[in-house]
Amino acid sequence: MPVYNLCMRIIRKNIPSLLIYLFVFVGVSIIVSSSSANPQKAVNEFTRKKADIAFISKDDSPLIEGLRNEIGKIANFIDIPDNKGDLQDALFFRRVVYILRVPEGFAQKFIAGEEVFLEKTFVPGSASSAYIDLSVDKYLNTAKFYLEHMDNISQEGLVAYLNDTLSEEATVTVLPARTKTNLSNLAYTYNYMAYSLSSILILGMSAIMMALNDKDLKNRMSCSPISGTKSNLQFFLACLTFSGAAWLVQIIACFILDLENVMTLNTVFFIISSLVFTFCGTALGYLIGSIVKGTEAIPAITNVVVLGSCFLSGVFVPAELLGKSTLKIASFTPAYWFVKANNQIAQLSQFDLSSLKPVFSDIAVIFCFASAFFALSLLIRKTKRYN
Amino acid sequence: MFAHIFMNRLRCLLRDKETIFWTFAFPLALSLFFYLALSNIGKGETFQEIDIAVVNDSRYQEDLYFKTALEEASKGEDRLFDLTLATEEEAGKLLENGSIKGYIKAGDQIELVVKESGMYQSIIKSFLDNYSQTFKAVETVLRNDPKKYQEVMESLKDRKNYVKEVPTAGGKPDIVVNYFYTLIAMACMYGSFFGMRETSDIQADISPLAARINIAPVHKLKAFLSSICASMLIHLVVMLALLGFIRYVLNIDFGPRTGYVLLTMVIGSITGVFFGAFVSALVKKSEGIKVAVLIGVSMLGSFLAGMMYIDIKYLISMNVPFLSWINPVNLLTDAFYSLYYLDDLSRYALNIGVLSGFATLFCVLTYLILRRRKYAGL
Repeated sequence: MPVYNLCMRIIRKNIPSLLIYLFVFVGVSIIVSSSSANPQKAVNEFTRKKADIAFISKDDSPLIEGLRNEIGKIANFIDIPDNKGDLQDALFFRRVVYILRVPEGFAQKFIAGEEVFLEKTFVPGSASSAYIDLSVDKYLNTAKFYLEHMDNISQEGLVAYLNDTLSEEATVTVLPARTKTNLSNLAYTYNYMAYSLSSILILGMSAIMMALNDKDLKNRMSCSPISGTKSNLQFFLACLTFSGAAWLVQIIACFILDLENVMTLNTVFFIISSLVFTFCGTALGYLIGSIVKGTEAIPAITNVVVLGSCFLSGVFVPAELLGKSTLKIASFTPAYWFVKANNQIAQLSQFDLSSLKPVFSDIAVIFCFASAFFALSLLIRKTKRYN
Repeated sequence: MFAHIFMNRLRCLLRDKETIFWTFAFPLALSLFFYLALSNIGKGETFQEIDIAVVNDSRYQEDLYFKTALEEASKGEDRLFDLTLATEEEAGKLLENGSIKGYIKAGDQIELVVKESGMYQSIIKSFLDNYSQTFKAVETVLRNDPKKYQEVMESLKDRKNYVKEVPTAGGKPDIVVNYFYTLIAMACMYGSFFGMRETSDIQADISPLAARINIAPVHKLKAFLSSICASMLIHLVVMLALLGFIRYVLNIDFGPRTGYVLLTMVIGSITGVFFGAFVSALVKKSEGIKVAVLIGVSMLGSFLAGMMYIDIKYLISMNVPFLSWINPVNLLTDAFYSLYYLDDLSRYALNIGVLSGFATLFCVLTYLILRRRKYAGL
């Protein structure tokens, strides 16, 4: 099988550059799977969300200690050195979302009834800022209330009253959640395949096509005793081997990194969607290989096409954080439907027809893209041949 | 002679579509992708009024204080809640389909019903705690002195805000700008492709073109300087266009100090070009290997400067500060960041100082490697 062997030799020659994408994929998958170390807790218990804040106090009175304890119920205190540069850095990179500064002599002035303020620096408009403000104001307003109405109250006595009062809490009932699967981390890994798999497939396919498009090689092949049908068959077999291997290696990497979920039905659907996507990636590689003329242009086109579709479709940035118009543009790329299908598969807990319908329709769209790419490339090749 | 080599080199470089693509079109496309993908990212943390429902039964209607408190919190511009009155069944449905974050049942013990724990649910709980706690405080005071009833109730209306925002000089802590700064820094370092070409085209044992240039009756340094000037001019124009696109088309803020931003870009571009020249002079291998080294170093530098994952930049600067100072991509990113976010220029000056040091070092080393090289045979 000379054509098949030739294709395989071309792929072998390109393996180092293809491996880069595989390493990126494995690296990202390892990071994602290690970050999912905290599994879903029992959801029937309410836990308060804690914001990361920096608490800088120049006043070590009991009142401020009490305030610190009260804020501690809803915040994690992060130690940041008290200098402007470090604090600004911490806020910018969200090590903390709020910096609260208690000025010197605050408690004394507060008890004396003077108008005093705590100073905050925060990420403007953030929800956690509203949350911390609510807690600080609650503490100090209650303190003020006691100071106004309890005669001769000492600072320690005031803090004791505050502790007692602020221990009162509203009851929270968390509705028992329906058994819902959430494999969002696994979905992220499969989504990431849209980047690595497409890059590998397009680069590999275009490399084969570039070699086969060579005029001299074409002439040599047409005068060889192998019929056109046979050589085409060998070419398709080579494509199948290459794309199958690229897909299999990544699927195995996914399995190894997430052994827990290998035996679930969700994985079966992840496999189906990635397989159809592989078909689509191969078709896209075939199309690009049919259009592009120079070998130098291939990495350029691959990067723009793959990075572009991955950025817009929610492969790198979760789709729920993308704007509506961005997603609308993304819907013209197969990666969008692949990500959509995977995100739905990750949520599947029932596998009846109605739950599976949206998944199948997304996979069908990917298949349509693949068919369109193939049809287009055949058309282009035909036109080129006549020219 | 300078003008002759410079003009011809300029023409020659402009015809090199591949280098122009990687130094100009690729960063430009990437900036557009960043813009489309990241423009919404800050909205995730922005506070939005919380949709809640209250069970509108007799207990709620009779509890006037609670009713007033809840209505007050759901009024005006700075309101906490968007309140819906509903029956328990309706509220349950609203919660189930995600229209509200939780619903409240009034009574002796106020109850909050939610579907999951989260920031908004915690804020609702904080509000309800606040209400119960105020009642408890009132109870405590009245137990002490029941005659104070009127006075106590009056004082409840007088609630103050005790936290005041300290205005910060400099820009907003908008994390998205940093992605664009790393991108510009990366594009500066991509200037190394031009630098690489310059050194390859002057070393007679690397390319036939270089062999031809070497036998020309021109001093090697003169030929090298004239052609690297052409490279730098093209890269500067390319960078200026990229900067203009990011600033004026994508509307990314660089702070008010435009002159310094341009200076950073110029120094970044020079560092990039000389970095490429140095690597190309040092690595005596094929062009493929040289390109791999340049891309590898630029991408690793960009990763450590936070281009793929923003927290990396902060983690590195806190834990391995040395790595921040030897990474030109980070130095450039940090210089842009300092101009945008910090009001004093000392950190900026330090970044630019170290970066200029790198540029000089690359330049001197390239010169030392290239000078007086003779070839016995090619």
